[in-house]
Amino acid sequence: MKAGSEKYDRVINLLRKSNPELDSTAGIERDVIRKISEIERSGINFSGVVDFLFGWVYIGWVRRSLIAASVVMVMIFVYQQGVILKRIDKISRQVVVSDKEIIPTIDDKIEKLLMVYKNSGRKFPSKTITISEGQMKELLESVKDLQIKYKDLEELIDGDPELKKMIEKKLTDSNRTKINL
Amino acid sequence: MKNKTVKVVIAFVIIMSVSCDEPQTIVTNYVHPDGSVTRKIEMRSSKNNFKQKTIQVPVDSTWSFRDSLEINQKGDTTWVKRAEKQFKSVDEINLAYKSDSSANKDVQREASFKKSFKWFNTEYRYSEKIDKKFLYGYPIKDFLNSEELVYFYSPESLRHEKENGPDSIKYKALSASVRAKTDNWTYKNLVSEWIGIFSRLTAGKHGDDFKEETLKSKENEILDIVKKNEEKFDSLWLNGYILKEIIGESNAVKYRVEADSAIKTAEANFLLDFKNYSVRIVMPGRLLGTNGFIDSSHILLWPVESDYFFTEPYEMWAESKAPNIWAWIVSGLFLAFVITGVVVRLIKKD
Repeated sequence: MKAGSEKYDRVINLLRKSNPELDSTAGIERDVIRKISEIERSGINFSGVVDFLFGWVYIGWVRRSLIAASVVMVMIFVYQQGVILKRIDKISRQVVVSDKEIIPTIDDKIEKLLMVYKNSGRKFPSKTITISEGQMKELLESVKDLQIKYKDLEELIDGDPELKKMIEKKLTDSNRTKINL
Repeated sequence: MKNKTVKVVIAFVIIMSVSCDEPQTIVTNYVHPDGSVTRKIEMRSSKNNFKQKTIQVPVDSTWSFRDSLEINQKGDTTWVKRAEKQFKSVDEINLAYKSDSSANKDVQREASFKKSFKWFNTEYRYSEKIDKKFLYGYPIKDFLNSEELVYFYSPESLRHEKENGPDSIKYKALSASVRAKTDNWTYKNLVSEWIGIFSRLTAGKHGDDFKEETLKSKENEILDIVKKNEEKFDSLWLNGYILKEIIGESNAVKYRVEADSAIKTAEANFLLDFKNYSVRIVMPGRLLGTNGFIDSSHILLWPVESDYFFTEPYEMWAESKAPNIWAWIVSGLFLAFVITGVVVRLIKKD
């Protein structure tokens, strides 16, 4: 047991005394410098990004072009918005009609008809006659009915070439037959 | 002219323009940024009679319809028909106008849409145009001042309201002035139209005497003759007196057929069967400009009456803009980038 312990102490002492031998101190030095420079490089990464993004500021013509483009863009924006505001202001001063104007009522219509009737009377005094509102409405409705019937007749004639030919012949024969309104 | 006098023609036009059986129609165009248009039509009538030939705009079976009935406080019944259709573009609307069989099929109508990209904004322009009917007429603006023009183009009920409102005296005077001037305009157009057509029909037949320019120089003279003989125009035209006064005795006999033809054609243009209606337009984005009226819900409104397009095309237009948000963001980022670059340079310089 004792002999084993002594042997152990001897080996330990021997190991303690035998220092490692450096075969390349220069290599170690190089490795240390590389490690240090790597640390430094990661510290200036932001600056690299800034240099990458804004490298153009050091190129005169690029810098001037981009500044000019920005100024033009601002000017266009100001001009466009100015024109738009002016037009909006102008439009806000335009006449606003109430909802009543949009959908004329039946009463408005009769009034309108009477106004036209009065107007026609004013224009053509020799033809002035006095009729009631009801008669006026009836007259206009008759005109409208006649107009619809006339259109139907026209369509009927147009749809039947033989009838059309016959009517045209009759009209020619009667030498400019006139249709009274 | 035969048995139809100028005054009867004009009276007929006026009466027909407000004849009461056609529905009161409002056409609303909802314009979308991609150029498609949702067209809604509301027709109101005292009778349930909404045939295609009585409606002012082309509507067919491809539209979706909704009918309703309204009874007002007085007990009057109003039939309401609502129609709606989505048009992919204005070309589809124009196609419908081309195959028009509505009450107003005799007028040429056209819709247009324009989209302009202007970087920060996109501008839109939508218009509906009705072609003029007279070939040789005078623009109404030559006869009315700016205030009268606004009044002339106003919706009828607005004019009526003004004439019966607080400034009734002013507006009644304005109305009378507009009426007198438009009467004169109507007569002058009729004469001008007759001159134009007559000179075209007699082109090359009688030297330079019936050239449009030659007859135009006598226009006021002819107008005076027409006005002076207004009451007996019919018989005086028939016996050749008026024509003799205008082109001389021998020419009146020689060119009677052409003169009659010219007045018939002019008359046909006057006898335009047109039913009034209203057009409304809702534009995408913010409204920038229009020649219409604005209602309380900021929808644009135009009355459409035959007087408006007799001598000039009647264009109802609206312009609007919508901001391009992405362009604003891109521009802001670009501006920030350039400013930062300049600041970086200044810092580095120091």
